[in-house]
Amino acid sequence: MSISRTWMTSAAAIAIGLSAYSVPAWADNTLDVAIIGEADTLDPMLSTKDVVSIVTQHFVETLYTFDANWNVAPLLAVDLPEISDDGRTYRIALRQGITFHDGSSMDSADVVASLQRWTEMASRGKAVADRIEAIEAVDANTVEIRMTEPYSPLLSLLAFSNSAAAIYPEEVLGEALSAIVGTGPYKIIEHVPDQYLQLGRFEAYQARDEEPNGPAGGRLQLADEIRFIPVPDPNTRVEGLLSGQYDFADGLPAESYARIAESEAAEPVLLRPFGWPIFAINHKDGLLTDLNVRKALQAALPHDDMMFAAFGDDNFFIVDAPMYPEGWTWRNDAGTELYNQNDQARAAELLDAAGYEGTPLRILTSRQYEFHFKMAEVAKMALEAAGFAVQMDVVDWATLGQRRNDPALWDIYITHSPFLPEPALTSLYSATSRLGWAEPDKEATLAAFTTATDQAEREALFADLQKAVFEDVGFIKIGGFNALQGQRTGMTGVNPSPWPYFWNARPQ
Amino acid sequence: MTRYIVQRMVGMLVVVLLVLTIAFVIVRLAPGDPAALMLGPEATPAEAAELRERLGLNEPIPIQYLSFVGNALRGDLGTSIFFNQPVTRVLLARAEPTVYLALFSLIIALIIAVPIGIYAAYRRGSWLDQTAISTAMLAASVPSFWTGLMFQRYLATELGWFPAAGYGGPDADFWVRMGHLVLPSIVLGIVNSALILRFTRASMLDVLGEDYVRTARSKGMTEWRVVLRHALKNAAIPIITVIGLTFALLVSGAVVTERVFNIPGMGNLVVSAVLRRDYPVIQGTLIVVATLYVFINLLTDLLYLLVDKRVRY
Repeated sequence: MSISRTWMTSAAAIAIGLSAYSVPAWADNTLDVAIIGEADTLDPMLSTKDVVSIVTQHFVETLYTFDANWNVAPLLAVDLPEISDDGRTYRIALRQGITFHDGSSMDSADVVASLQRWTEMASRGKAVADRIEAIEAVDANTVEIRMTEPYSPLLSLLAFSNSAAAIYPEEVLGEALSAIVGTGPYKIIEHVPDQYLQLGRFEAYQARDEEPNGPAGGRLQLADEIRFIPVPDPNTRVEGLLSGQYDFADGLPAESYARIAESEAAEPVLLRPFGWPIFAINHKDGLLTDLNVRKALQAALPHDDMMFAAFGDDNFFIVDAPMYPEGWTWRNDAGTELYNQNDQARAAELLDAAGYEGTPLRILTSRQYEFHFKMAEVAKMALEAAGFAVQMDVVDWATLGQRRNDPALWDIYITHSPFLPEPALTSLYSATSRLGWAEPDKEATLAAFTTATDQAEREALFADLQKAVFEDVGFIKIGGFNALQGQRTGMTGVNPSPWPYFWNARPQ
Repeated sequence: MTRYIVQRMVGMLVVVLLVLTIAFVIVRLAPGDPAALMLGPEATPAEAAELRERLGLNEPIPIQYLSFVGNALRGDLGTSIFFNQPVTRVLLARAEPTVYLALFSLIIALIIAVPIGIYAAYRRGSWLDQTAISTAMLAASVPSFWTGLMFQRYLATELGWFPAAGYGGPDADFWVRMGHLVLPSIVLGIVNSALILRFTRASMLDVLGEDYVRTARSKGMTEWRVVLRHALKNAAIPIITVIGLTFALLVSGAVVTERVFNIPGMGNLVVSAVLRRDYPVIQGTLIVVATLYVFINLLTDLLYLLVDKRVRY
């Protein structure tokens, strides 16, 4: 081909490509959602990553879910369970006429088999497996779960979309599912990894009668299609949102707030509060096994500076002591006088009392979450002023994920978590977590907390648990932070949540 | 000539094997565990260990290496840990955007660089020549991600002339997908035009000073023919060399540009694979890229034969 022909063909290609492009409109009734990365699996029992929960909750469902106030509400169950007087037996009536995406009907055999698999394969299921005596079908539409002792977090576990107790047809179960089939309002049409996950409305879906109430109640299936688009670069998610290419974008950098607020195409969605950054402490090995050293650490940390360095904008953080924010039933003041002391002199005294000889305190962190790294840097300065020698191990997230599983390699690692509706969902309190915090009084409180069934009693016990976190320095909450998402201007039906759901979403 | 090609192919195999081995070793040396990463934050160390066992990651390294090389020679690049699909299938899906992106970027780079380079040499010292040189310097110095970000923000988001990111959704046809490649191609084209422009100019300057050019002029040839038919043809070899190198570089995955524009090409894949520690995909991509690189170099050398009859292999 001569040069001029090539030229003309390319010019034509460019022209046609350009004319074919236009800002996507709601006219085709599809919702484009930019997520932070490709989901590792479409089976929520196999991963505890939040991005997996976000997408899978649209096509698989659980017996229960949470409502807008984070109370457990029924989803595939008819109602909250009948719990025996001794608190050990849960009788759950299942809704009837529910079909799976493959056309089969849901019955108790499917539920029992799915829950069994959950206790065998899902991280959260496995953690509770030894407390479960039996899971049985009473009849075609009723199941019964018998516990070895009362366990109040059970319903929250059955409601949580993370490491979900998802209900699948018995026929597809196995170590790997033979097909991703659920009861959810949307079903999978096509999945091209790293490009999109295309979900279409499931026409035979049986919505609940109640008004939508957070993820609970009716699921209206307003969009014909929902497409989850993995966009690993946060800035690209912002640009895509502002240019109208995405209807919703998760995980946006705090610095983009002003630009999104000023834009006509999009509006910011502030998750207030979202969660808390955490210094996880190694109780199995190393410096911090000594209570005085832990207390020194606690006394030295300058929480205001750390949070400010990490988030930079008052809109995005709060220096707040209790484990739960304002407005949550679990909020209490126990032990909070020990928070944010920012007293390096006192820390130095405690280090002396501990006989500290200069062994480096190893902080394991990653720049993949820039705010972790910034908090660590500020902490380092204060800790050194208090007399600690500090060693920063800054690695990528894959390395951190591996190293934190070996207690010989770190004293502190930095992580964060959304505020979870049930405190027992946070593994940090448990002695079996990688922190290995096994202080006997705390263990007794925790055991009482998970076996108590009365809410007032549980709240009082939680206050004791929180006190232990501060007095024994189980782990350190740095503060609270908000997260930024963005949506097309005028879109309704998407509630701010760490696990946003789109079955009620409707752009203006 | 056949002998030459065979020699080059053998050389290619050696290079690929070397790259393979280095890639295998370096990636395995890096800390980080794909199993722990996939299972998420709440998984216990025991669960991660179990998954590693299932994925065959606990086999002794030499065994893993030998089985990998053995399979690779039969065209089986293994199974992706993350996608649970054959690596060859994953790569084939990613090759399309990268190759088209490389092609378009190269075309744009040539459209910018060659005419300006020729004219700058022809009118050496003129304001166009000087502007061309300094602009080329600027284009080469500014990092491609900055250029990409600026173009994305102003031409896509603010002006809406192009899509901001991606490669089209499920209903996109070929032309829509190519439309998504326009903006990243412009970015890469501009960034890569600088070197080609400088080489074109330098090579043309050399040739335009030669005696046979003066002879051609004195014979009464039009300037057009002198410059394009005589000078350019003789100046072609260094220019073709740098074009070949540029194309090879583009095809190896314009990593940053693909990331910024969220193009699902090989560059983006290799970054994600490294972050996820998806060893088979990392190895597979490196093999493909190394092979392509060597192949394009071979093609470039063969192209000389067409341009310059004096070249013999």
